[in-house]
Amino acid sequence: MMEHEIAWLHNYLTVGALLFGIGLIGFLSRRNLIVMFLAVEMMLQGVSLSLVAWCRFHNDGAFGGQMLVLFIIAVAACEAAVALALFLMLFRRRGTLDIAVWQQLREEDQPAYVDQQIPELPEPARTDWPKLPPAGVRPEADPERTDYRDHV
Amino acid sequence: MNDSPWVFILATLLGAPAMWALLPGRSSRGRMAGVALGSAAGGLLASQLHGVGDWVDSSLFAIFAAVTLVAAVATVTMRNPVYCAVWLALSLLGTAALLFLQGAQFLGVATVVVYAGAILVTFLFVLMLADPEGRAPYDRMSWEAALSATAGAVIVGILTMTITTVLAGPRKTAQDVALSNPDGAAQAIEEHDRALADGVLTERHVARFGSELFGRHLVAVQVAGVLLLVALIGTAAIVAGHETAPQETPPEDENEPVSSAARREA
Amino acid sequence: MFDIKTLLIAIPALPLVATLVTAVFGRRVLRQRSHWPVVAAVAGSFLASLLLLNEVHKAAALEDSNQKVGYESVLALWTWAAVDNAYDLDDETDAQGSQTKDFRIDVTLRADPLSSIMLVAVTLVSLLVVIYSIGYMHDDPGYWRFFTYLGLFIFSMTMLVSVSNFVLLYVFWEAVGLCSYLLIGFWFQKREASAAGKKAFLVNRVGDFGFALGVFLLWTTYGTLDFHDTTTKDDGTVAVAMADDEVTTAGVLGQERLTEGNYKTGAVATAICLLLMLGACGKSAQFPLHVWLPDAMEGPTPVSALIHAATMVTAGVYMVARCSPLFFASTDAQHVVALIGGFTALMAALIALTQTDLKRILAYSTISQLGFMFLALGTGTLVGVVAAMFHLFTHAFFKGLLFLGAGSVMHAMGGVIDVRRFGGLRRLMPVTHWTFLFGSLALAGIIPFAGFYSKDTILLAVHAKEGAFYAVLYWTAVVTALLTAFYTFRAFFLTFYGDEQIPPEAGHHAHESPGAMVWPLRILAVASLLAGIVLYQWGSFDGFIRKTPSLDYLARQADLAAAEDAVAGHESVEHDAHFAVMAQSIVIAFLGVGLAAFFYLGDRKEIAAIARAMDRAGLYRLSHGKFYFDTIYKFLVVWPLEGIARLCYWIDRYVIDAAVDFCGMVPRALGASLRPLQSGLIQFYALAMVLGLLILIGSLLMCTL
Repeated sequence: MMEHEIAWLHNYLTVGALLFGIGLIGFLSRRNLIVMFLAVEMMLQGVSLSLVAWCRFHNDGAFGGQMLVLFIIAVAACEAAVALALFLMLFRRRGTLDIAVWQQLREEDQPAYVDQQIPELPEPARTDWPKLPPAGVRPEADPERTDYRDHV
Repeated sequence: MNDSPWVFILATLLGAPAMWALLPGRSSRGRMAGVALGSAAGGLLASQLHGVGDWVDSSLFAIFAAVTLVAAVATVTMRNPVYCAVWLALSLLGTAALLFLQGAQFLGVATVVVYAGAILVTFLFVLMLADPEGRAPYDRMSWEAALSATAGAVIVGILTMTITTVLAGPRKTAQDVALSNPDGAAQAIEEHDRALADGVLTERHVARFGSELFGRHLVAVQVAGVLLLVALIGTAAIVAGHETAPQETPPEDENEPVSSAARREA
Repeated sequence: MFDIKTLLIAIPALPLVATLVTAVFGRRVLRQRSHWPVVAAVAGSFLASLLLLNEVHKAAALEDSNQKVGYESVLALWTWAAVDNAYDLDDETDAQGSQTKDFRIDVTLRADPLSSIMLVAVTLVSLLVVIYSIGYMHDDPGYWRFFTYLGLFIFSMTMLVSVSNFVLLYVFWEAVGLCSYLLIGFWFQKREASAAGKKAFLVNRVGDFGFALGVFLLWTTYGTLDFHDTTTKDDGTVAVAMADDEVTTAGVLGQERLTEGNYKTGAVATAICLLLMLGACGKSAQFPLHVWLPDAMEGPTPVSALIHAATMVTAGVYMVARCSPLFFASTDAQHVVALIGGFTALMAALIALTQTDLKRILAYSTISQLGFMFLALGTGTLVGVVAAMFHLFTHAFFKGLLFLGAGSVMHAMGGVIDVRRFGGLRRLMPVTHWTFLFGSLALAGIIPFAGFYSKDTILLAVHAKEGAFYAVLYWTAVVTALLTAFYTFRAFFLTFYGDEQIPPEAGHHAHESPGAMVWPLRILAVASLLAGIVLYQWGSFDGFIRKTPSLDYLARQADLAAAEDAVAGHESVEHDAHFAVMAQSIVIAFLGVGLAAFFYLGDRKEIAAIARAMDRAGLYRLSHGKFYFDTIYKFLVVWPLEGIARLCYWIDRYVIDAAVDFCGMVPRALGASLRPLQSGLIQFYALAMVLGLLILIGSLLMCTL
């Protein structure tokens, strides 16, 4: 029925928008290169959901929206490959995945960004390793016999 | 069903601090508050959703959507990048399920296989090279968390509000049509289901999808193939071309701004 | 075989071609053979000039003097510029000029006795100097450049004397000035040389500015700038006036105007003449603008001989002689010309007395002799103008000779030119000694030499004029002649007599100069000896040159005046006066030479005493300091200009530049304030994009909702 179709579309678009927004927040705020990339993939997923919902809404027998999503997946695969290769190179150069290392695009006379405060490492959870019980009783040694031995 | 924009505005106002609190760099108590705020915002938005007729469909959708979104939030907010990747995998599974619900069977499978199966696993490999423990300082802090959370939340708010207001119009007319012609309502439903079964929800989905793909979109498929090939070659060139380059050696060209900045940094 | 038109084109064309050839090939191909094109071309030009002189002489003799004023042959080549209706004067201002409202510059050459004589003198001296330069410049790295400049100069000078239009005259007037600048500064690595070139150029600018104004005034007054009459045919082409049925424009010095004597008088005429005279003063180094010529001696000596003694500096004399009908129309202008000439002659002679630089002595002598010529021109009579041209002609020979001799001495002395540092060179350099002696005799005006005749005619022409003004000038000229003889032989005796003394710079160079340098000296020596006798005593220089239209006009006016005088009953006392003047001239010359011999041969006790006495009176220093003209100009002209320049610099630097800099600072400050945004952190850029997008969407929603 019509209103149900509209409800489907509405729900899916809402979920798609949320995925997109969450991905955007992740892309903008995270500093790990790979996590940034994951966030971008999530944004793509949000768009894909919307497209598929529109395809269903229009009852498109030619699957236009789904086709588009398929190509999005293909392009995402390419993107992933190239991005991974780049990340590898960057990591090999600096030994870190921090995006802040790559800030040479700034103006000539601008000071480099330096982290003001690095959050403390959380205390590693204290783990109580199980302790072995003492294995038997220590043998008593006769002091006299330690001083003098009649045999070896 | 109130069309008041205040719901969305409130959701936005709740969502932004929620995301801010959840992002890395906060204390664990702050994260708890973030979870609470985020749940509230999600509930507000969920209240604006509609049933889709069948309760099975509705509940399936609700479950999958919740899984997807919760996994998504976790992806973005986890300190340990490996966890991020695993949560994204879950989110992708949820998305795939949502795609199945919409009759996009092939895409659902493709998402699982390509994304969750291939891309994510490759990323995990790379992550293993680096600090996978989430102890690196850059994983424990975020840029401009407030600003980016606000931006994202505002975009979501605008989008959802727009969706609601735009979709509210035609729905009323459809209801009017159904009300004005009660006799034809059942017929209309029947016709609609038949049309869906002929169209998107066809049983021979993959066959038709494939014939469309390799018929109408053949050129696009070829182009996508070329794109994949180019990406492959590019990847190989990037990785192999720099194999011999010594580490941390700036390029020869002094005039290149990047290189000069890099030298100064070094 | 050679008609006048072909020759007229060939004379300037040959040096031009040689110049181009030398300029293109001199550096890489010709190198030390760079003189060949120029020498060949100038020799050709000289031969062509001789042929032209012959042709003109024949044609002028055939010309019926009743029909036309003088003889001229004009060759129109092409129209350089044509502006229709450029001229809008009331009809009443000039009956002739107002008919033609089109401004035209036709490239036209002319042949008449004046120009053909000038061409012969220019090309002959040029030829000899070019040959001399082969020896003089032989090791110079700029060998090809030197000959290129020389060729260009000879082209410009031959064009200068053969064009028939004031604009073209001005063009080549500037062209010879340019060549002079280039050649004075030929050794531009030397600071003095480049400074002297600049000075010559700048001082000449003053004169040329006056000349240009004079040409403008001529145009507005007479409506044409052509010397000759031109005809406008129906199809608009302009040709030399031939038939009567066409519209004829009377040239400034054309037949029609000369026949009718249709010249402006009064203030306009005086203004034109004074402006032209200002130009002549610049080029011919007359009193207010004479300061550049002595400094121009920094150039190579052949250049001094050719440009700054024989040819270019006489351009002013030539121009005033050419324009003598204009000057005839203004008695005031004549007086100014005569006054400037007389004063310059005396002043330069006084300065020359105490100079120690051989070339500078000759330079002041040149200024002095040019002053003589202007004095003769200032008489405004035919005799005076002819005398000036005659003196120009002979002066070209003997002054060229003297300069080349000085160059020979300089060459042998390793570049030393100070007469106090060498002496007694007569045994070392016999040819130079003898030829220099000939030149000195000619300059001093000893009787059979060329200088005597020409100077004598000048004195005669001045003497013939009546009135106290000219009487004073006459005695000035006589004193100058005495001084001339004295300083000439002072230099001669100091150089060639006394104890033999050779500066250390000479090294083993101290010997007679090579053949290429000596032969021009010999030829010029002979010319200095014979030019006067041949042309004056046995020749018909006088009769020939007065066939020039401009001079014929003077002759006719003189005839008219003579007729009036005859009616009034004045008896001619010319013959007695002639002998008196000649006797005075001879005595003066010998007196001067004798004084020089008395003071400078043997020990020089007396002259030292006189010099000390003069020094006490301050006169010696005045002369030695060149009357402090350079200092005066420095105070009056250079310093104020420098002050203004400094002020302008200051304004430019601290007002205009500051304003501009301030305008430049605004975007810079804006950029500085926005620069922190360019942090290089990619995500900030992305965030900025998203925020921008939000603003966009938000505003869009505001509009739709």
